[in-house]
Amino acid sequence: MDAAIYLLAGLFLPLFPLSMAFNLLLRRLRRPAPRTLLLLAWPQIGLALAATAASPPPDWLLYWALLTSALYAFRALTLRELGLWNGFIASSLWALLWLTLARPGAVPPALHGLGLSLPLALLGLLGAGLEQRFGAAYAGLHGGLAQRLPRLSGVLVVVVLAVIAMPLFPPFFTLLTLTLATAAAAPAMALALVAVWLLWSWAAARLLQGLVVGPGDRHGAADLSRTATWAYAAVLGLLAGAGLYLLGGLA
Amino acid sequence: MERLIVLVAALPLGSALLIQLLPHHPGWRAARVSVACTTLSFLAAAAMLWLALTGGDSVALALPGTAWGSLLFDPLSTLMMLVIAGISLIVHVYSVRYMAEEPGYARFFLLLDLMTAALLVMVAAGDLITLLIAWHLVGVLLYFLLGHDTRSRPAWRYSFWTLLTYRIGDLPLVLAAGLLHHAYGTWSLPVLFARITADPGSHYFLGMELLDVVGALIALAAFARSAQFLLHTWLPYTMDGPTPVSALMHAGIVNAGGFLINRFAPVFIHTGGVLHWIFLVGLVTAVIGSVLMLTQNDIKKSLGYSTMGQMGFMIMECGVGAFSLAIYHLIAHGLFKGTLFLGAGGVIHAARHDDGVPKDDLYTFVVERRPARQRKPWLLMAAITLAVPVSILVVAHLLIAQDYFQKQGAIVLLFFGWVTGAQLIFATYRMRSQNLWRLVGLSVFSFTVVVVGYTLISHAFDLFLYPDPAFRRQIYAAADIDLLRFDILVGIVTAVIVLGWLLTYYAERNGGRRQRRTGRGWLVFYALVSREFYLADIYASLTRGLLQAAARLNVWLRWA
Repeated sequence: MDAAIYLLAGLFLPLFPLSMAFNLLLRRLRRPAPRTLLLLAWPQIGLALAATAASPPPDWLLYWALLTSALYAFRALTLRELGLWNGFIASSLWALLWLTLARPGAVPPALHGLGLSLPLALLGLLGAGLEQRFGAAYAGLHGGLAQRLPRLSGVLVVVVLAVIAMPLFPPFFTLLTLTLATAAAAPAMALALVAVWLLWSWAAARLLQGLVVGPGDRHGAADLSRTATWAYAAVLGLLAGAGLYLLGGLA
Repeated sequence: MERLIVLVAALPLGSALLIQLLPHHPGWRAARVSVACTTLSFLAAAAMLWLALTGGDSVALALPGTAWGSLLFDPLSTLMMLVIAGISLIVHVYSVRYMAEEPGYARFFLLLDLMTAALLVMVAAGDLITLLIAWHLVGVLLYFLLGHDTRSRPAWRYSFWTLLTYRIGDLPLVLAAGLLHHAYGTWSLPVLFARITADPGSHYFLGMELLDVVGALIALAAFARSAQFLLHTWLPYTMDGPTPVSALMHAGIVNAGGFLINRFAPVFIHTGGVLHWIFLVGLVTAVIGSVLMLTQNDIKKSLGYSTMGQMGFMIMECGVGAFSLAIYHLIAHGLFKGTLFLGAGGVIHAARHDDGVPKDDLYTFVVERRPARQRKPWLLMAAITLAVPVSILVVAHLLIAQDYFQKQGAIVLLFFGWVTGAQLIFATYRMRSQNLWRLVGLSVFSFTVVVVGYTLISHAFDLFLYPDPAFRRQIYAAADIDLLRFDILVGIVTAVIVLGWLLTYYAERNGGRRQRRTGRGWLVFYALVSREFYLADIYASLTRGLLQAAARLNVWLRWA
């Protein structure tokens, strides 16, 4: 029974190839609101399903989850379309939630899940904004956003950093907790985790360089308004604060 | 009073916030805020060092009710804070005019302030989590500082190399922190070190002593940060970034490896084997960095490789147990390399009009490579070359400690000093000069001043950073190897070096008659060096292979 529950949960807490369903669904959704909803709710469904199982996830499932995470992080290296990139990184991040289920700490897995999803949702919104302006959010297509749309670029850079688990955002503390917890007990897992972390940085740097860097073209798109910039900044500030207090153990 | 240490780190952070929140048009307002806050931070850091020098006790300042988020007031942190705040202040002042014409003027100062704050927190971190966060942030901020010019694709390409190498260095530190916390049950560095001292050898990991594994992981993190061989390719290529950032990077950031090893000195005194590896990696880096530096025709790239060589030497000093000497080295190197970078632009500009090199005896000797024809009795000159430096070094070191020569690490450093001194005199007496004895005398005098100064200052650093004499002895003892093996090694290396000098002397005396036979070998070697041992090419082709594999996977799996 537990195995069936876990397999079903594997649709939502991505386990390859079940994870393909989420990425296909995300690609089909064009409007920002359902996309955001999907990014926030999808892993929570998986966590709720997994919580109904009587026993903790077995080791083979954890290694499967780690492989899924590594696979999507590796594949994200060559992605140029922001929406697709977001989906792949989401799959890579959420697969790690299996480890929080297997090694429950002081922070409930649902909170870890929310901490991972919120920056992804923000990135989804920014991607929608770029699609609205340029017809596609594609690295290397226009480039030079920092020259043309400095406010949007600034927010985009910080959100991408939050997504790939840079300090002091919630995903950083989730990754830190997992790596520190597995370093002594399961060194192979810890090594895989840090390798995945490294791949995210690589993928993010390639994406940002394709979007933000360059001389910029004469496309007359409007930059993010001051109000929207402040709103994003406030959300990111709140996210960092919440990460510190709820996941970072400062509470 | 020790609480002032929080202010040292908080001031640059406050400045960054102010720049972001207040309207910064015109840009000089941001620069003013930034310079003012960095000046205050520098003054507070100076006060902290003064307090530590006058006997202030080491203390950790933590947020109440938290497991991390603490700063450590101790000799190492106060000294490093002053160095960082000082170098940062110089870079800030220099940037006010240097960056004035660049777009993103306020953003530059914001990033510079954040970097200063991250560095200050890193050196003063009182627990593993704070250290990890600051360590991570330094790499990320450096990426954006090096890529400050968002139009320049080369600048971003090479800052990406830096980011990736730094990330490779971040991750072993995370693993080391996890292992230490699991074994000793605390994040706090002072508590951790106290527990390690009380119970060093009772923990094992995968059949190895835990502290050996932790030491190796920390060393790996230090190698990536300090551009040691195989992890060095980013350093000479990051010259497309703004000059003030290069200065800050070469003077402050790249030295972090030496700091990290010093911070974890209580771990390394139990990991002799790791120290030997550190010595070896440092030695290889020092030699290769110096060789690569000599083949560059671009001043900034040459400075990059010079930094690599110096970092190798600094890490090597740690490997022989001279931890405090490494700190002195990184400070001295930071000051002179920062000056060189900040002056490089002016030198290049001036050299376009006039190279400014006087066509005197030194030029004839160094550039045109025409040694003097006059010859002195070779036995006398050889005796002076070999005996004078060693006498000066021995006397200088006997002045500071009678037991100095019982430390193997000290003898290794002495050996390097002797080679340098002998090389100096060897070169000097072959120069064209009207009064050769005067020239040799002046060289010996300069060498004496340098050796005595270096010895006294490094001894003062030793006393300040590691006041406990037993701990100082333990550091050197950890780096020791079997005495017989040590003596044989020193003998072999001495013989090789002296043989090298004799061969050079013989070759020059015979006017290069064997040049044709050996010329081809040198040409191959030069080609290898000029392509930097093809390392960057190997890494680039590995990267291309991985990206192609990822792209193929995506096609097979239909992008889902």
